[in-house]
Amino acid sequence: MTLLDAPVDTGTGTVGAEPLLAEGARRLADRVVRPSAAPRDRDRGWDPELFSELAGGGPGPGLAGPLVPLTRGGGGLSATQTCALLEGLGEGSRDPGLALAVVVHAVLVTVPLRAFGTETIKLDYLPRMASGEWVGGLSLRQTQGTAQAPAAVAARPVPGGWLLRGELDLVAGAPVAHHLLVVAALDGGGRTAFVVDREADGLEVGEGEPTAMRTCPWGRVVLNDCFAPDRAVLGTVGGAADEVEPLLAVLDWTFTSAPWIGVMRALAREAVGTARERRLFGRPLAHDQTVRFTLADLSIRVELASEVVRRAAAGFDAADRPSRRDAASARLFAASAARDIAERAAHLSGPFAPSGDDLAGRAHRDALFFSATGGGTEVLRPVIAASLLELG
Amino acid sequence: MPPQNWTEIVESGYLRLFHPEAVGGTGGSPATQAAALEALARACPGTYWTATVSALLCAKLIFTYGGTERHGDLVRSLVEGRRLAAFAVVETEAGSDASTFRSAVRPADTPGGGFYISGEKSRISNAPVADVAVTLARREKPPGDDGPDWCLAFVDLRQPGVRRYDIPHMGLRGMPWGGIVFTDAHVDAADVVPVPFEELAEGMAWGWLKTSFSAIAIAESALAASVRHAKERVSFGRPLAHMEGVQAQLAESRAQIDAARLLARRALHERVAGRSARDLIAKLKIYATEMAVGVVVRAVQIHGAAGVTKGHEVERLYRDAEMNVIGGFTSNRLREQVAESTGLGPAVYAEFDWVTPAGLGRDPSGLDGP
Repeated sequence: MTLLDAPVDTGTGTVGAEPLLAEGARRLADRVVRPSAAPRDRDRGWDPELFSELAGGGPGPGLAGPLVPLTRGGGGLSATQTCALLEGLGEGSRDPGLALAVVVHAVLVTVPLRAFGTETIKLDYLPRMASGEWVGGLSLRQTQGTAQAPAAVAARPVPGGWLLRGELDLVAGAPVAHHLLVVAALDGGGRTAFVVDREADGLEVGEGEPTAMRTCPWGRVVLNDCFAPDRAVLGTVGGAADEVEPLLAVLDWTFTSAPWIGVMRALAREAVGTARERRLFGRPLAHDQTVRFTLADLSIRVELASEVVRRAAAGFDAADRPSRRDAASARLFAASAARDIAERAAHLSGPFAPSGDDLAGRAHRDALFFSATGGGTEVLRPVIAASLLELG
Repeated sequence: MPPQNWTEIVESGYLRLFHPEAVGGTGGSPATQAAALEALARACPGTYWTATVSALLCAKLIFTYGGTERHGDLVRSLVEGRRLAAFAVVETEAGSDASTFRSAVRPADTPGGGFYISGEKSRISNAPVADVAVTLARREKPPGDDGPDWCLAFVDLRQPGVRRYDIPHMGLRGMPWGGIVFTDAHVDAADVVPVPFEELAEGMAWGWLKTSFSAIAIAESALAASVRHAKERVSFGRPLAHMEGVQAQLAESRAQIDAARLLARRALHERVAGRSARDLIAKLKIYATEMAVGVVVRAVQIHGAAGVTKGHEVERLYRDAEMNVIGGFTSNRLREQVAESTGLGPAVYAEFDWVTPAGLGRDPSGLDGP
């Protein structure tokens, strides 16, 4: 689907701006994010100024709102261009956790608001999300429909809106979010998506952090009869299974994979450096044919993963609906590649004390998280099979 | 198989190794049996299959389920190489799913007339040339017979009610392979042995063990060829043996074959000692057969264009290796069994209908909604 609100203007004015966007984001992230990646990872730190700088600090479109139309204050990028931007972020930042926080905000929360929000919601939220003033969050458990578990939140109608009750963990962005995207089950069946403000009565954010992705702010959210007005409903009441849920799934599979393409590029490049520096049996590791084969394989996997993720993103720019099969296949492939590359990179680094920013060590841990989220293989494979077999 | 080859196999004593003296065997030690299995499979995997299906698997099945009192002569004829047996289970429309098997045994109309068998078995080792088929069939039970629904019928294949045909196959081409059509073929009453289907896996495990040794031997042959080639072949001014990538492939193969062989010997030892070891053999069959495919793929890689040339040893091994993965329960089928043995309970089948209700069954809207 094409962007309706505005022509694409990437600052270069030409089609095929992806390499420039990726390079711009890479440079920005390299300058702004990379230097503090390791210490923030150690301390589980979140730096609001850093996020602001990513949102508006570069010469190109900001990272906070690439998919927000220009008329609403965003970058007005296509999905393919956004994918390139996020690849650059991953490569330059060498920070998978922060990149995840950016994707959750700029894609997973933004796009459902854009696609299914009421006009009031779009008017209020999208410009402020694009500028980075308002940060959006959501639980990564809610991006695969109810594949992993029944909806953890229930909604019941009251005059003027809904009362939400339940608990969500693995909420990316929770401690710093202005609002959250929440899918809740209705009494009579069906599920509805809401945008819920962080300051709403009855909403509490507690501690709850996974061991990986430490530079992403995490929290557990408790909703205790939290009121959401009717205008906060995204899409049709009871229609999430046909509207927001499949959209969230495909966005997660596609766009949280995008920074990992960049991270994989960084890992593969660093592995080449390691092979040149380390010595074994008195010879540079780079002279060893098995090491050379490994590095060749890494570079092959990165290119393949990049293609499948870009194809999935391009589904959002085409006239037809985006393909869930393409997106699920992309995630299946990219997650496997990320784990494999991270493992081999860590292997090449050797068992000794980490050097530099220890990307190999951090990515080894975070790639496991990446491959387990989005439903992991247990969800992705049946989704692909269902599409192939016309079952499910 | 050239007649001279069969004569030499018989004279070597190979066929006798697996059985006690009472039925004409020599009762070889587990180590001897293992060495012999691997040696013949190294020499020719196809010949190995033909000889071992008959003298080990079929003889054990007859021995185990039929007993030696009534079938001692039949076992002896296989062990002495006077007759060749096939194990006829698979049918044209069915693999290892017994519920789809149609071949059936029915009693003759006249008392004392034995039984008649009808049906078609397909993709069976030795079928085109065997003298006797150990055949899995349904029992047509008279009223009041509450015995097992299944039987093993030891069917004489040299009779008018039997037609055989060849099926061309990818690997193990030295082994005759094909189908058997029974049209009211006669079976003596004593040669129809009712067997509960679940028990059959116990006997079939001999087949998995046989197949595992075939895989290990194929892998060993491929590795030996690879080592030889790596020492001889010079590329970019260096023998392949000096290239670490080739060394790594050889090393991985060596480690994997060793692991499989040790497990195979342990399994055979257990089996010869009279213990079931069925789950262990299932695990072995999965690993050994898939391992051999991996080793052979590496061997072809090391040999380059020679490895994909028709008539080259590793080209033959490449085709042979996959036969072991499929033959006598595929890896997929056996993995289900191994999973069950870990305490997971039996496989559960349900109609595949859970993706759409979870919200993942349709393509989403685009960026701007419906």
